[in-house]
Amino acid sequence: MAERPRTYTAEGVILRRRNIGEADSIFTVYSDREGKFDAVARGVRKTRSKMRGHLEPLMRSRFLIAKGRTLDVFAQAETVHHYRVVREDLDRAATALYCAELVDRFTVERAPQEGLYSLLLGVLDALEDGCGIAVARYFEVQLLALTGYDLALEACALCGSPLPAEETLLSPSAGGLVCRLCRPRAEGGRLLSLRAVKVLRYARRETLDAFAAVAVSPELDGELRTGLALMLRHTLERDLSATRFVEDVRRLPAAHPPPSPGGSVE
Amino acid sequence: MAEGAGTPEPIARLIEAFHRLPGIGPKSAQRLAYHILRVSPQEAEALATAIRDVKERIRFCSVCLNITDADPCAYCTDARRDGSVICVVEQALDIMAVERAGGFRGRYHVLHGVLNPIDGVGPEDLHIKELLVRLGDGEVREVIMATNPSLEGEATAMYIHRLVGPLGVRVTRLARGLPSGADLEYTDDLTLSRAFEGRQEL
Repeated sequence: MAERPRTYTAEGVILRRRNIGEADSIFTVYSDREGKFDAVARGVRKTRSKMRGHLEPLMRSRFLIAKGRTLDVFAQAETVHHYRVVREDLDRAATALYCAELVDRFTVERAPQEGLYSLLLGVLDALEDGCGIAVARYFEVQLLALTGYDLALEACALCGSPLPAEETLLSPSAGGLVCRLCRPRAEGGRLLSLRAVKVLRYARRETLDAFAAVAVSPELDGELRTGLALMLRHTLERDLSATRFVEDVRRLPAAHPPPSPGGSVE
Repeated sequence: MAEGAGTPEPIARLIEAFHRLPGIGPKSAQRLAYHILRVSPQEAEALATAIRDVKERIRFCSVCLNITDADPCAYCTDARRDGSVICVVEQALDIMAVERAGGFRGRYHVLHGVLNPIDGVGPEDLHIKELLVRLGDGEVREVIMATNPSLEGEATAMYIHRLVGPLGVRVTRLARGLPSGADLEYTDDLTLSRAFEGRQEL
C-alpha cells in the first residue's frame, strides 16, 4: 500500500516572517506549485542554524518541507536568488515588500494562482536589474487581472461606451475607467490624466520588459499610485501595512553616496 | 492547560503563570510550581521580591532607552566611555552581547524593535526621534548600526542612514560574513558573497 509522502519540495519567494518561541520562525511562502503556505523553521534564529540565511523575506529559495500535524516544517532550504540589490536599497526593498504584502493579501493558502508566481519573480528580477520602482504599478494592474479584478480600461466600466482621449475617472466601485457621463454614478475615485490612462493600458497589455523600458516620471507614478491604491483598498477592504512604509521612505532625504569608502551603509 | 479538578487553586494559578513564560511547557510549569512549594518561605519570598522589583524599579534610560534602575543608565554616565560614538541596537539584550564581546567603548542607543513594514511596525514605533535628538549637539561623530543582518534589520539601518546622512554624522554598519565555526557548505550565497567582499589581509 502506497503511503502518503511525508515530505514535499517547493520553490518559492518568502513573503514574511513571524518569530515564535525562542529561536523559531514561521515563514509565509508563495510558491509555484503549492501557492501560498506557512511553515515553521525550528531554531532558525540561532547562529548555527543551517537554514539561516536561506530563509529571509524577499528571498527565492528551494525547500524540502515535512508535513506536520498543524504546521509544516522546513527540513532544508537553499537560496535560488537572494535579490541583494533589492535588499540593499531602501526604496527597492520597500517596493518589493509592498508587492509581497499584496501577494499575501490577495491569495488564500494552498491555492496556486496561475501566473502569479512568475509575475512576482518578474517584478523582483526587474527591481534587482535596476528598473525604477514604478514597476510596482505594472504589478498592481496585472495582479488585479490575475485575481479576477481586471480593470475596465478600454471602455467605460459602467455604460460600455468608448472613452474619449481625455482626463478620465478611475473608479474603484465601478472597477475601472468611467466616462464623463457616468461620473455621477461612479461613487468617487481618482481623475487620471490622459498620460496616466495610457500608462495603465500599457501596463495591462504589455509584457513586464516592455513596461520597464518606459520612463515613468515620479509625478506620473504618483498619480497612478494613488489611483491604484484606491482600487486595491476597495478590493481588499483594508489598507496595506507596507503602503505606510513606502510613504515613509519616500519622504526621506534622497540617498547619497557614502562619504568614505568602507564602513558606510550602502 | 487543564489542571486536574483536585489541584488547589493557588498552585493551578502558579502553574498557569509559569506556563506563560517563554520556553516553559506545561510539564516544566508543573515542575517549577511544585519546586516553589517545597522551597523555604525566604527563598520563595526572594523570588517574589525580585520579580516585583524588576517591575517597579526598572525603567528606560531617558538618554539611550536601555533598561536601567538609575536614570541615566550606567553606560550613559560612565565618563570613561567615548561619547562621540553611538552603537544602535534593536533591543536592550543586544547591549549585553556587544559588551560581552568587548572592544566597544562608546555609548548605546536602543530602538526597541526594527522596521517591519508588513506587520505595520513603522519608524514612529521605534525610538528613532530620541536618537536624532542625541545627534543634534554635534558631539557624536559616528553612529554604528548594529541591527541584525536580517531584511528588517538592514531596512532599519538604511532608513536611519538616510535620516542621519544630512546631519554630517558618519554612519557605519557592522561587517557581515561568516560566523566562527561555520560550515562553508551550508553558508548562504548572500553571506558568502559579502564575506568575500569583506576579506582581509592575513
